Amino acid sequence: MAVDMRLPTLRKTVALQDAAFDRKDLVVPGDVITSDTGFMRGHGTYVDDEKLTASVAGEVQRVDKLICVRPLKTRFNGEVGDVVVGRITEVQQKRWKVETNSRLDSVLLLSSVNLPGGELRRRSAEDELTMREYLQEGDLISAEVQSVFSDGALSLHTRSLKYGKLGQGVLVQLSPSLIKRQKTHFHNLPCGASIILGNNGFVWLYPTPGQQEEEAGGFYTSLEPVSLSDREVISRLRNCLLALAAHKVHLYDTSVLYCYESSLQHQVKDILKPEVMEEIVMLTQQKILEQEG
Amino acid sequence: MAGLELLSDQGYRLDGRKASELRKVQARMGVFAQADGSAYLEQGNTKALAVVYGPHEIRGSRSRALHDRAVINCQYSMATFSTAERKRRPHGDRKSTEMSLHLKQTFEAAVMTQLFPRSQIDIYVKILQSDGGNYSVCVNAATLAVIDAGIPMRDYVCACTVGFVDETPLADLCYAEESGRVSSLALALLPRGGQIALLQMDARLHQDHLETLIEAAMTACKGVSKVLDEVVRQHLQEASVLTGE
Amino acid sequence: MLKSKTFVKKTRSGGVMKIVREHYLRDDIWCGSEACTICKQESTVLEKDACSDSTICPYPHYLIPDTNVVLHQIDVLEDPVIRNVIILQTVLQEVRHRSAPIYKRLKDIIHEKEKHFYTFTNEHHRDTFIEREPGESANDRNDRAIRTSADWYGQHLKTAGPDGLKVVLLTNDQGNKQKAEESGLLVHRFEEYIKSLIAHPELVDRLALSNDDKNEITSSKVLFPEHLPLSRIQAGIKAGSFLQGTFRASRDNYLEATVFIQGESEDGTEVLIQGLQNLNRAVHQDVVALQLLPRNQWVAPSSVVLQDEGAAKDDNGDEEDEGKVLISTAETARKPTGKVVGIIKRNWRPFCGMLNVSQIKESTRHLFTPADRRIPRIRIETRQASTLAGQRIMVAIDGWPKDSRYPNGHFVRSLGNAGEKDTEQEVLLLEHDVPHQAFSQAVLSYLPKMPWAITPEDMEKREDLRNLTVCSVDPPGCTDIDDALHCRELENGNLEVGVHIADVSHFIRPGNALDREAANRGTTVYLCGKRIDMVPELLSSNLCSLQSTVDRLAFSCIWEMTHEAEILKTRFTKSVINSKASLTYAEAQMRIDDTTKNDSITKNLRGLNKLAKILKRRRIEKGALTLSSLEVRFHMDSETHDPIDLQTKELQETNSMVEEFMLLANISVAQKIYDEFSECALLRKHPAPPPSNYDILMKAAKSKHVDIHTDSAKALADSLDVARVDGFPYFNTLLRILATRCMMQAVYFCSGMDSDFHHYGLASPIYTHFTSPIRRYADIIVHRLLAVAIGADSTYPDLMDKQKQSALCNNLNYRHKMAQYAQRSSVAFHTQLFFKNRGILNEEGFVLFVRKNAIIVLIPKFGLEGTVFFDSKDKTGPKLVFDEEGPTLMVEQHTFHIFDKVKVTISLDDTNIQHQKIRMSLIHPVIPGVSVSASDIEPQTKKPRLDH
Repeated sequence: MAVDMRLPTLRKTVALQDAAFDRKDLVVPGDVITSDTGFMRGHGTYVDDEKLTASVAGEVQRVDKLICVRPLKTRFNGEVGDVVVGRITEVQQKRWKVETNSRLDSVLLLSSVNLPGGELRRRSAEDELTMREYLQEGDLISAEVQSVFSDGALSLHTRSLKYGKLGQGVLVQLSPSLIKRQKTHFHNLPCGASIILGNNGFVWLYPTPGQQEEEAGGFYTSLEPVSLSDREVISRLRNCLLALAAHKVHLYDTSVLYCYESSLQHQVKDILKPEVMEEIVMLTQQKILEQEG
Repeated sequence: MAGLELLSDQGYRLDGRKASELRKVQARMGVFAQADGSAYLEQGNTKALAVVYGPHEIRGSRSRALHDRAVINCQYSMATFSTAERKRRPHGDRKSTEMSLHLKQTFEAAVMTQLFPRSQIDIYVKILQSDGGNYSVCVNAATLAVIDAGIPMRDYVCACTVGFVDETPLADLCYAEESGRVSSLALALLPRGGQIALLQMDARLHQDHLETLIEAAMTACKGVSKVLDEVVRQHLQEASVLTGE
Repeated sequence: MLKSKTFVKKTRSGGVMKIVREHYLRDDIWCGSEACTICKQESTVLEKDACSDSTICPYPHYLIPDTNVVLHQIDVLEDPVIRNVIILQTVLQEVRHRSAPIYKRLKDIIHEKEKHFYTFTNEHHRDTFIEREPGESANDRNDRAIRTSADWYGQHLKTAGPDGLKVVLLTNDQGNKQKAEESGLLVHRFEEYIKSLIAHPELVDRLALSNDDKNEITSSKVLFPEHLPLSRIQAGIKAGSFLQGTFRASRDNYLEATVFIQGESEDGTEVLIQGLQNLNRAVHQDVVALQLLPRNQWVAPSSVVLQDEGAAKDDNGDEEDEGKVLISTAETARKPTGKVVGIIKRNWRPFCGMLNVSQIKESTRHLFTPADRRIPRIRIETRQASTLAGQRIMVAIDGWPKDSRYPNGHFVRSLGNAGEKDTEQEVLLLEHDVPHQAFSQAVLSYLPKMPWAITPEDMEKREDLRNLTVCSVDPPGCTDIDDALHCRELENGNLEVGVHIADVSHFIRPGNALDREAANRGTTVYLCGKRIDMVPELLSSNLCSLQSTVDRLAFSCIWEMTHEAEILKTRFTKSVINSKASLTYAEAQMRIDDTTKNDSITKNLRGLNKLAKILKRRRIEKGALTLSSLEVRFHMDSETHDPIDLQTKELQETNSMVEEFMLLANISVAQKIYDEFSECALLRKHPAPPPSNYDILMKAAKSKHVDIHTDSAKALADSLDVARVDGFPYFNTLLRILATRCMMQAVYFCSGMDSDFHHYGLASPIYTHFTSPIRRYADIIVHRLLAVAIGADSTYPDLMDKQKQSALCNNLNYRHKMAQYAQRSSVAFHTQLFFKNRGILNEEGFVLFVRKNAIIVLIPKFGLEGTVFFDSKDKTGPKLVFDEEGPTLMVEQHTFHIFDKVKVTISLDDTNIQHQKIRMSLIHPVIPGVSVSASDIEPQTKKPRLDH
């Protein structure tokens, strides 16, 4: 078996322009943002001695009188309507606990799921007993944020046919800040696979389903073998995602697709080699610029 | 033979530093992708790796959860190869338990835990090479990891050990100095406000000297904070350049 | 600013250990030269025009000595002629590693501004640091480091300094010199350089003999066994085959010494060493490794008094009689005996003494006889022998090769003509390590500014006791009055007694130069006609001295007592007093006795006296010892300061009155500071002597059919009290003198470092010194502790540090011991002066000890002790039979016992100017061939060099 070996190389430092050094909007914990009392304190800030001070390292954002600091990397801060991909960690009475990369496990209430038999079905005590049959620990689901509890925990629902249990596919865990907010986070990519870009940074790659099976209600999972070509496409996508993430490129359907296209000249396994990765990402960024420009 | 001369008449220490000079500090943030935050820090030959997970749902017994703030869980460990003598270090021995506790206390003072009720923040620190000032290096590394994780803190926490030799406070002791007959003191400071997060001293010292020693420790901590600040800003800029913002 | 470079040092200790240390190299270490234009230094040490009048280096230059030069030639380097020297850090570290005393001296030189010695931290300089190469020994690396630095200096000064300024490397190592020459450095041998200083020929004498020189002198004959290398010694000590201890040469016999083993057992054991071979070149105070001889070779300490008299020429001649001495005596008295196998640490210092000028006129090699008889003679090389003859000089030992009878040394400095009072005084101060230089400016700067007055701030924390009738009682002529007393009746009928001690700690603040100097001196040393003050005179004789009719600051200890001297209340306070009278003991006694006087001072004294008697009685009942030693007092001629009369000190009731209250104050204070600071109180203890110490006393008493019980202090005190022999009134005093000799030394200690606090002699469970802060440093510390305890002063770090406290105690104990010795030597010297003026006297005396070949006689009239010898080297002596059990000595027909009354002539033997001695010869009892007749005026000629 051929093994790839790499010698240690010097870590590449990012060339910073001089201008980048005195960017005023980048703050670190303890930096005073303003001592003007007319502003409102947002996330990532606190008031110390009447001065608005940053508590995280990141970029200052101002919306009218509200000042917040968005850290570069953080746990998922869910908002109503966000699409998330998560994993069931616990089955409780009338609810599931879902790990969604947020600060507390999210809650999926029994009443917030579509059970087989239609939306208007009454939930009986029997359903509570058979919850584990629908979703059990370790299952992956896609869902949408229904509401946010006072302690910051998210309440999810899967009351749409888009959402529900996920079957065969690959989960990629990335930083939530890399996911670009868009109208839809479900894409059937032209390359032959589908992607769910969860706002929480969990990305689900799966073979594009043949046709929508309405009555499955999201709890049916196909166990049919996936063809080799599909698997290769999914693998390539996964590596592309990682490459983009490593270079902190925002993720959305176009960027993923461009990256996929740029990577085609390399073997799937080579994509993660640093120099290949760099090349692919460069090409991707160029394409994005061309398209936007 | 007499013991080592920790401070020469010319004012140089064993390794060539002057009394108030720190060792060379080098650090990097975000060394692990899978953790929420991570950092690697070298202070001279003392090297530590810190990893932060959280805030997240309390794992294990739920009874530990606090309804008004997050629980900070620290774990300190030393690699078997970290000291001159290779030694297996069982988990949870007295020394590392104590160190874990000190770290926990330090970070409870700095992290804004009240923002995350009922959750937990894990800070794991491992000493890869030990050459004195383990506690301080752990604190400094963990600070960077916490910042990397985007967890709100009031300020950096910077720590430094100082020793007292010949009526002179020595900043940032190395192992050779620490093991001599020196009364040493470890101090963790929130540099901007000058609040002390933790002060620890095992040796005997006359109270008259305490103030000068703390003064020196605070100056040293501020020196450390300058270095950390640079590292954080550098990291921030690199990241923001990459994201193209 | 920090050029950091980490490198890896590997050392192995025990198992394999990899030690990694950082080593920062800097570029901000300056060259220290005044001439340099590049370095950004704030102050410079090395002068611009560093010229010396060396003929081989006629240009301005700086010197860089290597380690061995510093180690061996420190005496020369100390000379003011040698200036502008660069001491490299490499050298400094090596010196520190190899010899602590030389390191200290080197540091002293560096601190001296006039010497322009600059320490260059080459190990941390970016350009001069070098790494050890594979296969290079540590020494070679250091030599290379020195060369590299010398090279750097050369280049640096060439570019940065004026033309012609150079550096000269001084080394005695051939290899090093050669390599340096190859790399183009200016290099000279140290001797060469010193000899080239033609204006200062005296420096050449001070050169230590280097190895090559020694070869010339010595014969090929090996006199001593080789010393084992340190590694083998350490292994041997670990394995238990060798013992480690401090070597103590015998005062009386140069072929005998004891080694004190600090073993596991508490007090350690003593091992006897006899014979030149076994002593194997060890010098007094060296730390040596020794091997015990098999039990059948053990010997008893010889009671012979023997002095090395070999002259320089008969190096080998002495050996025969050296063998003879080893014949062992009484079988029962054998002691563990050993031989020295190696030296762990030399403890050489410069020794005072005199030159024995060689008989060969042109010879430059001479023998030097140290004043301390425990030190062997030293062979030195000097061209100034004729000037130095008859002078007291100092000499340092350089080494002792195994084929040389005597150690080799070199001349350090001259102290003055022998026999002159100033010279002799200097010698005895030096020999007893008494710091006696004038106080430095730094020290004096901490004195209060005159005119001094008590300020209101001073008064704040003090009680105003100026209205009390306080008076002081001291010996006549005393100017440093540190205690005063008062006694008054209170309204409730009780008595209030106050002891007021000069508040020295008010003037001497912790940590300043004045305090450090006092701490180092430890005690005021009283010599005959001279006082070496511990604190400057302004304090000792003026501001601190509790003179009469002036306001003085005091630290008072005030008791409320009943008339039966029961203490009801004890109180300590800082105060201000105004003494009403400064009395002598005799004056005070007269006032007490004079019934017509009834003023307040006298009443005061009577009250005190009454209480003191009760206190003393009570103390004696508890078992306090009253011991005796004869103290003499000289009446000095006011003009010449020569002693004109000599008498033993008389004790009056008032002496004991003052003493009693001082004891009481000391005990009260000791208790107080111990209660307050259980860990760091400075106390004084007097350990009970081991029973064997009493042997001589018991034997002596038994010979007069008196029993002495030594089970406890009380028993001893009681049996001494009843010991009387009819018709021999002086017997009791003699017995007490003997008992005194049995006692242990009382010592200071830190309460946190010891558990036994008992004071044997005073029969007190706890004791300290509080009452004489002007002349004892211990009292100052006690004052400070007490002041903290009562909240009158603040504490400082060192006061609470029991390690430092303990180190201080060691110094104080050492200084006290040395002060005592110095005092005795001074008395001895003045006694000699006295007898020199008197000629020959006939006196009665008592036999105090009996030795194998001599008796030691005490003359009560002068408090003088002397030895009467019965044998001599040059002629066959009388028949001597020594009985150790008695102990008795039979000389021909007559048997001498302890306490025998004898009559002797006293004269001064000044045949040996170095060791002038009081010589005693027997007159009565008459023993033919031994005793001399009373009219025998010229004994010196008859028995030359009998006993020096």
